[in-house]
Amino acid sequence: MNKMKHYLHRHQRLVFGCCMALVLVVIAVLAPVISPFDPYDLSDEMMAGPGSMHPFGTDNLGRDILSMILYGSRTSLIIGISSALIAAVIGTVIGAIAGYFGGKVDMILGEIINIFMMIPSFFLILIIVALFGSGLFKVMIVIGLTSWTGNAKIMRAQALSLRSRTFVKASEAVGEHRMKILIKHIIPNGIFPIVSNTTMGIASAILMESSLAFLGLGDPNTISWGQLIANGKAYLTSGWWISFFGGLAIIYTVVAFFFIGDGLNVILNPKIRNVTNV
Amino acid sequence: MAKYLSKRVMTGLLCVIVALCLNFALIHLAPGDPIRILVGNKEPNPELVQVLTEKYGLDQPPLVQFEKYIGNLLHGDLGDSYYTGEPVQDIIKQKLPLTLFLAGTMVFIAVILGGLLGVFCAKRAGGKLDTFLGSFTYLFDSIPGYWLGLMLILLFASKLKLLPTTGLISIRESYTGFAHVLDVAKHLILPIATGVIGIVPYYFRITRASVIQQLGEDFIVTLRAAGMSEHKIFYKYVFRNAIIPTVTAVGIHLAYMIAGSTIIEIVFGLPGLGSYLMTSISRRDYPLLMGFYLILSVSVAVMMIVVDFLYTLLDPRVRHVSD
Repeated sequence: MNKMKHYLHRHQRLVFGCCMALVLVVIAVLAPVISPFDPYDLSDEMMAGPGSMHPFGTDNLGRDILSMILYGSRTSLIIGISSALIAAVIGTVIGAIAGYFGGKVDMILGEIINIFMMIPSFFLILIIVALFGSGLFKVMIVIGLTSWTGNAKIMRAQALSLRSRTFVKASEAVGEHRMKILIKHIIPNGIFPIVSNTTMGIASAILMESSLAFLGLGDPNTISWGQLIANGKAYLTSGWWISFFGGLAIIYTVVAFFFIGDGLNVILNPKIRNVTNV
Repeated sequence: MAKYLSKRVMTGLLCVIVALCLNFALIHLAPGDPIRILVGNKEPNPELVQVLTEKYGLDQPPLVQFEKYIGNLLHGDLGDSYYTGEPVQDIIKQKLPLTLFLAGTMVFIAVILGGLLGVFCAKRAGGKLDTFLGSFTYLFDSIPGYWLGLMLILLFASKLKLLPTTGLISIRESYTGFAHVLDVAKHLILPIATGVIGIVPYYFRITRASVIQQLGEDFIVTLRAAGMSEHKIFYKYVFRNAIIPTVTAVGIHLAYMIAGSTIIEIVFGLPGLGSYLMTSISRRDYPLLMGFYLILSVSVAVMMIVVDFLYTLLDPRVRHVSD
C-alpha cells in the first residue's frame, strides 16, 4: 500500500493523465447515451445561454452545445489516435531500417528524414486538405503522413545502439535473417520512446485537426470542436458560450495526452526523474 | 567545418527542391480547375476558357509546365496570379512585411520572457514555483491559438473595451503620423499576445533544461570548489553554454512562425501573407500557392543553415567534431 502510494506520488502526471484520458474515452463511447439531446437536432431555442435545460447553452441553430461537445470527442480521439499511430508505424519502420542496416541505406534514409523534417508541414496539410477534400479519413492520413519524422529520428538512434548489442550480434552469428532480427529484436527493444512520443503525437494531431476544422477545412458532416469554435466566432459577443466550451474540451484532451507522454518519458529517462519532475 | 556546412547547404537545397516537386505534383493532381473558378458562371464561354487555358499554359503536359516554371524561377519570376494577374513576387512583397513583423515580434518577446522564466526556475529546480510553472506551461501548450485569440478579443475588446477587436487600423478614423503608429500598435497587442502565449512554454522549457544541465556539469563543481562566486559562475559559464540551444530554437522558430501566424492573422483579420493564403487556396490560385510555399520552404532551409552555422561558432565542440 505504501509502495503504491509512493508510486502514485512519483508518477502523479502519468496517473492523472491516464484518468483524464479514460474519462474522455468513456465519454466518446457513451456519447449517444449520456448526451441530453441529439447534437444534430435543430430546436427553437436558439442562442440560449447556459442554464438548467442546456448546461452549455445552444448555438445559432438551436443545437445543444453540451451534446455537440460530447459527440465531438469522438472526432478528436479517432483522428488523434489514428494519425499518431500512422506516424508511429512509418517512423518506426524507416528509422529502424536506417539505423540497423546503416551504410548507404542509412545515408539515403537519413537524408529523406532530414528533408521531411524541414518541409513546412502545416501549409502542406492545408493545401492537401483544401484541394483534395476534407473527409475524416483524409485528414487522418495527411496528418499521419506529415508527422512521422520525430519517431524516425528516435527509432534510428535506438537501432544504432541496439545493433552493437551482444544479443543482436549473437542472432546475426547464428545466421538469422536480418529482416527477422529487425522485427524480432530491434523494433521491440527500441519501441518504448516511440510510445511516449506517440502519446505526445496524439495531442498535437488533435490540435492540428481542430485548427483545420476552425479554418473550415474539417469534415463538414461530422461534429468537431474546432468547427464548433469557428461557428461561434460570428456570435462572440452575443453568445460567448458557443466557442468557449469547445476550447475547454480541446485543452482538457490535449493536457491529458501531454501528461501521459510526459509521465512515460520520466519513467523511461531516469536522468530527468532525478533532476526534477517537470 | 566547411565540409559539414556544405553538407547542410546541400540538404537545404534538396529540401527546397523536394518541397517544390511535392507541391507541384499535389496541386496538379488535385481535382478542381482554376480556370473554371476564374471564369465563374455555370456555363462558361468555351472560347474564353480556351484562351485562358492557353494563356496560363495549362493545356501543356504537367512536366513541360514544371520545366517552364523552374526556368522562370531561375530568372526570379514566380509567375502571375491567376486571380489578380499581378506578379506573384509583387503580392508576396506586399504581404510579407506584416507577417514577418508579427513572427519576429512574437519570437523576440517569447524568447526574452521564456528565457528569463527558464533561468529563474532552473536556479530553483524542484521548488514549488518551478513545479507550478512546469505544469502551467503544459496548459499553455494545450490552448489552441485561435481559441485563445477569440477569448482575448471577447475579454479585452468586447467586454472591457480596452482594445480594438480586429483589423490593422481603425477604419473610421484617419490617423496620421504618430497617432497612426499608435493605432496600429493597439491593433497588434492582442494578436502578438496570442502568439507569444503559444510559444513561451517552448523557450521556457529549453532554457530551463539547458541551464539545469549546465549546473550539473563537473566543471561547475570544480569552479565552486575553487571558490568562484556563484554570480560569476553563472554568468561566465552556465549562461553562456546554456544559451546555445535557445539560439538554435529562435532561428528555426522564426521560419516556422511565418506559417504559424496564419491562424492568428485569420482570427484577427490582419492582411498578412497567411490570411491571403487561405483566400488563394479557395481560388485555386496555383502560381500564388507555389510561390508562397517556395518562400516558406526556402526560409526554413536558410534558417536551418544559419542556425547550424551559428552553432559551430558558438560551440567549439561541434566545430572540432565535424572537422
